[in-house]
Amino acid sequence: MTTNHRIAIITGASRGLGLALAGGLAADGYRLVVDGRAGAALRAAVAGLPDPAAVTAVPGDIADPAHRAELARIAAQLGGTDLVVNNAGTLGASPLPALADYPLDELRASFEVNVLAPIALTQLLLPSLRERGGAVLNITSDAAAEAYAGWGGYGAAKAALEQASNVLAAEENTLRVWWVDPGDMRTRMHQDAFPGEDISDRPLPAAVIPALRRLITERPPSGRYRAAELQPATPAAASAGQA
Amino acid sequence: MLTEFALPPELEARAPAEARGVPRDGIRMLVSRRSSGEITHHAFGDLPGLLLPGDLLVVNTSATVPAAIRIAGGLAVHFSSPRPNGDWLIELRERQGGATVPYHGGIPGQPLDLPGGAVLTLGERVTGRLWRARLSTAVLPYLFKHGSPIRYSYVEHDWPLESYQTVFGTRPGSAEMPSASRPFTPDLVTRLVARGITIAPLTLHTGVSSLEGGEDPYPEPYDVPPATARQVNLTRSSGGRVIAVGTTVVRALETVAGPDGTVTASAGWTSRMVTPQAGPRVTDGLFTGLHEPRSTHLLMLGAFAGDGLLRRCYAAATERGYLWHEFGDVHLLLP
Repeated sequence: MTTNHRIAIITGASRGLGLALAGGLAADGYRLVVDGRAGAALRAAVAGLPDPAAVTAVPGDIADPAHRAELARIAAQLGGTDLVVNNAGTLGASPLPALADYPLDELRASFEVNVLAPIALTQLLLPSLRERGGAVLNITSDAAAEAYAGWGGYGAAKAALEQASNVLAAEENTLRVWWVDPGDMRTRMHQDAFPGEDISDRPLPAAVIPALRRLITERPPSGRYRAAELQPATPAAASAGQA
Repeated sequence: MLTEFALPPELEARAPAEARGVPRDGIRMLVSRRSSGEITHHAFGDLPGLLLPGDLLVVNTSATVPAAIRIAGGLAVHFSSPRPNGDWLIELRERQGGATVPYHGGIPGQPLDLPGGAVLTLGERVTGRLWRARLSTAVLPYLFKHGSPIRYSYVEHDWPLESYQTVFGTRPGSAEMPSASRPFTPDLVTRLVARGITIAPLTLHTGVSSLEGGEDPYPEPYDVPPATARQVNLTRSSGGRVIAVGTTVVRALETVAGPDGTVTASAGWTSRMVTPQAGPRVTDGLFTGLHEPRSTHLLMLGAFAGDGLLRRCYAAATERGYLWHEFGDVHLLLP
């Protein structure tokens, strides 16, 4: 043992849910390796975290095999990977086209980022994850299960990611594999899905971090979870019962 | 230490209790108490009354995998344990009659054709019996499609996988049944809960007779979840007893126990042995089967009961016709 720190990789951490989760896991004592496509934005985001020294920022595109290998190499240098959070994703074409008109090159690119990249990164990390009894957390969406008009490209890709997660859980019985629907959030991706609309009624990504931290800390069995179901009981509610 | 004794063949359980005309929870239970040196004889159904409210039973949620694959040439492959790099430890067996015996052939690098078009490539020998090997497809789904439960010669014929599952088994991964929890039924669990006895889960996937052959153990994957670690610590700090259901549970709990017996949740791989020289730190009692001569499990039992009491237990069990092995009777070792 060279370190007591657990090590997590979070993809897509320059803003939104990925950044909020990076802050939460750093507070839980994780050493983090994070990525984002825009180097300046990623570095600025990491610099704003409470403990930037615990976070290694690796700019790059998750669809790029060399970049994925770099993430795996850096995590290995830190000691191994306990957790990979496949959070980076793309909405695809915006505004959301109907499947009838979906540009196939956009659809292909969506599957590349939303399905192939997380599978490929997980493949690289599996030996280390197995060694350390680790976990895979794939961020999905209710669009994987519901028929929302316009969400055919994104939803089909997330459905594919969910089934890949499901099968991975069956094949890798020494790991935890979770795929989590965080619910609607006030993020850039959500704004892109509803251009020009006011989405300020949606919760900020920070609101679901307690649920994700609880998942990671309590390590429930592999499976699909909704963040709303994982929200921890508030201390007030927990102590409301009779002693 | 008690390691050598004669096990008369008629004391080997050759079939599941249900097939012998007894319900799962209708088997016999020998109870030994280290503090008084007392040995008493019970039905397994007496368990709730023998434990105290506030006691914690820790159970293994590993479910049995149909880990035996029959192949051409009169051979069989037993899949034991995964390795982190995706290899598996496997044992080659030779079919004799309906059962199998160890097979000493095999060449490093040799590909073996398995049913369904899969290929198993032998790596190097790891122990006298076990090889590292790599299957051309995902192992667990393959075994559930093509495998059957591992069976040794004292069991007279094949039983369905359900005969090898326990009420707590929810995570497939053990090559051999974590057999101590086999007699537990929903009814018995309900009676335990109603008496105020708590049950907490962990997982340890056990390989092929890993500790029966006088061999060093190899690492097995374990997972002690945070809620279980908290329950164990709470039980100890409030004066209850932590009782392991099975030797696999002892190994997992002792792996995560600090010098003061406080446990910390973790997952990983363990080769932890519990012996009279390295005794249990956190586990107060053990519920287990009857173990065969020369098994290292007996060293673990000696760590709980002490050698003198363990010898008297095994003499009493032999004299009174208790049944051995995974389908046999059980032994509760209390402090």
